[in-house]
Amino acid sequence: MSARLLLRLHRIGLVAMAYFGIFYVAVNSAAFPLIAGKTRALQEAFGQSITLLGAQFSWLLPSPIRPDTAAGYLQWRGYGFFAILFAAWGLFSASGAVRRDEDRGLVESWLSAGISRLRLLSTRTLFFAAVSAEIVTLTGAAGWLGCVIAGTPPAVSGLVGESAALWALTLACFGLGLLVSQIVANFRAAASAGSVLLVVMFLLDSIGRSSVHRAPFTDISVFFLFNQSNAVAPGGVFDPAATVLLFVVAAAATVAASVGFVRRDVGAGLIHPRQRPKAEVHEPSVNPLLRLAVIRGLWIRRVGALGWTAGMAVTAASVVLLVNITATFFASTPTLSPYLRGLPGNVHTVLLALIWLSFAQALVAIFAITYVSRWSSDDSSGVLEMQLAEPIPRWGVLGERAAELTVTVTAMAFVAMAVILALSPAEGIPLDVGKMVSSTALLVPFGLTFAAVGALLAGWRPRVAVVTLSTITVISYLVFELGPLFKWPNWADNLSVFQLYGTPLITPVFVGGLIAMLAIAAVGFGSAGVVLARRDVAA
Amino acid sequence: MTSAVVMHGLTKDYGSGHGLFDLDLEVAEGEVFGFLGPNGAGKTTTIRLLMGVIHASAGTATIFGLDCDRESVAVKREVGYLPGELPQFGGMRGNEVVTYLGGMRGGVDRARVTELSEQLELDLGRRFREYSRGNKQKLGLVLAFMHRPRLLILDEPTSGLDPLNQQTFQRLVTEARTAGGTVFLSSHVLSEVEETCSRVGIIREGRLVSDMTMDKVHELRFHEVVIEFSDSVPEAGVRAAAGVEDVSVNGTRLACTVHGRFDSLLAAISGHAVTEMVSREPSLESIFLSYYSK
Repeated sequence: MSARLLLRLHRIGLVAMAYFGIFYVAVNSAAFPLIAGKTRALQEAFGQSITLLGAQFSWLLPSPIRPDTAAGYLQWRGYGFFAILFAAWGLFSASGAVRRDEDRGLVESWLSAGISRLRLLSTRTLFFAAVSAEIVTLTGAAGWLGCVIAGTPPAVSGLVGESAALWALTLACFGLGLLVSQIVANFRAAASAGSVLLVVMFLLDSIGRSSVHRAPFTDISVFFLFNQSNAVAPGGVFDPAATVLLFVVAAAATVAASVGFVRRDVGAGLIHPRQRPKAEVHEPSVNPLLRLAVIRGLWIRRVGALGWTAGMAVTAASVVLLVNITATFFASTPTLSPYLRGLPGNVHTVLLALIWLSFAQALVAIFAITYVSRWSSDDSSGVLEMQLAEPIPRWGVLGERAAELTVTVTAMAFVAMAVILALSPAEGIPLDVGKMVSSTALLVPFGLTFAAVGALLAGWRPRVAVVTLSTITVISYLVFELGPLFKWPNWADNLSVFQLYGTPLITPVFVGGLIAMLAIAAVGFGSAGVVLARRDVAA
Repeated sequence: MTSAVVMHGLTKDYGSGHGLFDLDLEVAEGEVFGFLGPNGAGKTTTIRLLMGVIHASAGTATIFGLDCDRESVAVKREVGYLPGELPQFGGMRGNEVVTYLGGMRGGVDRARVTELSEQLELDLGRRFREYSRGNKQKLGLVLAFMHRPRLLILDEPTSGLDPLNQQTFQRLVTEARTAGGTVFLSSHVLSEVEETCSRVGIIREGRLVSDMTMDKVHELRFHEVVIEFSDSVPEAGVRAAAGVEDVSVNGTRLACTVHGRFDSLLAAISGHAVTEMVSREPSLESIFLSYYSK
């Protein structure tokens, strides 16, 4: 297997982790003086606020150590949070390497080409170990650079130790992902079972950390082992024994997975659920939903749509519950409290608006990208060709796609709105229902804007549509997030699609932005229709 | 007889000599037309042009008088299509795929689907990803035949089917033809074309090299004859005989090919003692292989 092929197979995880690892760490460390303040007194006050905030979030992240320093802040905000991200990356990379590639028939073709099972698994493992080491190293380097920019470089030995622990955690999760993937028979089951395992281990560590009584089996959690090290923070420690134990978990799980892979049939899991004999079916489905335009697509993708809707609702609920904590944190932080005084309207409402709408926009944009990804794969997999073999015009297919996305985004946004409206009175957050409805409704043209650009890209060059749209989205989001922080000029801010949405929960609807979004959506889908009509499909 | 499919100067140029060039072809209504050629010859390109999935660089194609490019929606109302490879429908069950794609056409003839799936012994209750290659092909055939189209366009229809289901397929084609339907099928397997088609077109490197009825195809047939003489070999007489070609002599053994009747060969060897004579008819496959190699 060539390195190029392996890179291609791992590209999504690599791009995502490069962004979260390198960019996120560098920006957060470098921006420390802007957030915490430039004088020692301000930074100490900031540290106290973070310590209070950290106590409330101890179920999620380990308690902060010296958050009044850039390195301490990096340890808490960066490495604490990254444990979850890197663990998930390791797990899903392993599930994909084993099960997704097997579902696609790639594993069978590699094995039939003469590669042994052990060699295949070890090649995938070694490649992942190499790239994850690289990402972890670059993350550490980015953190060091950020702290240098912030004026307080951390100890290199501490960064090296913490990076080793993070790498060990990633590999342990990769190994566990490999092992779980041998037991079940397809990617969905492997990813689900792996996620459950990860959540259980996370909760074991979380309960052990936040409860008075030590929870049983906490020590077997890979998160517990990782959190024994906090070497980036001044005064923090590196626990070599815990890190070595993580490597041992990684090695043992990988060896066990190899044995499982050698013993099981390709395309099957180690567990064979006995299939009950069923009578053969020779009639078409009677489901009327499959026959109705737009509804049929929604029905086929109902599980994904429900998952997104539930995810958005949970995020909305979490945001509502976080508003009071965040308001307290802002009020008690000297560098942040001026922001509260300058806000238009009730503090809680404004914070809800800023946090929720930022999350909602990001989620809707990501959702639009996943839809565009499906449109592209429909083209390359032949689904579009089959659809066009039926007597429906190409613009009909495009219209159905846009309508399906509109309905799903509407459902996601309004269910989340209902959750917010239901929870906010109990949290003492006054909300204007009219503004809530308009800000929710605006998420639809916002999503359509990304989808229209994606539809045009998918119609023009389906193979590069997702990468290009993702790049546009990330740049757009960064401009939106970083512009105000670094005081970029207005014209630069206005390049962001996120800017066009405005802040409709606290300010009047940005009519110019709405018109611009609708115009982009109309022009994008219109152009996509023209491009799709002229293009060869499945060529 | 009216034309079901008409192609005039149909060209799809992919550059570097790849594609389809100046295809002129007509398929009459009620005809079963076999489109033959090796892999990469341009069969699927032709089919995709007919289905309006790709656009021609030059020339036109019509189906029942409708332009395949500009009136592709109207064309597809008349057509049942089997692509070279079915796409992945993932976790959808076979009967859901049928209803989903049938719904795009305006409805599903339930009795017809049941009849087809029973004939092909296809369990529509299983998920698409659980189907074997042959079962996926059977589902494709159900999708193509289920609305009793006037024209069937089938790209390598028996690919992945076992011999029993190949026979079922041949029966389905015969039924469609009996009902007045037209069939345009591509293949690189001559035996399948021999069983089902009334006319064949042969395509090579993007150009139509032959278009003939099956009767004419059968006229291409010849016999390979080997004769063992006890003494002298009448080589000159055999070489001069009408319809005899590729004469070679090895000792007392003569080999040749005979096109048409044997009379002139038998006249040429009369008076010579023959100890053994073997005549063998090569398959159509071999006939076309020799045709391609010319």
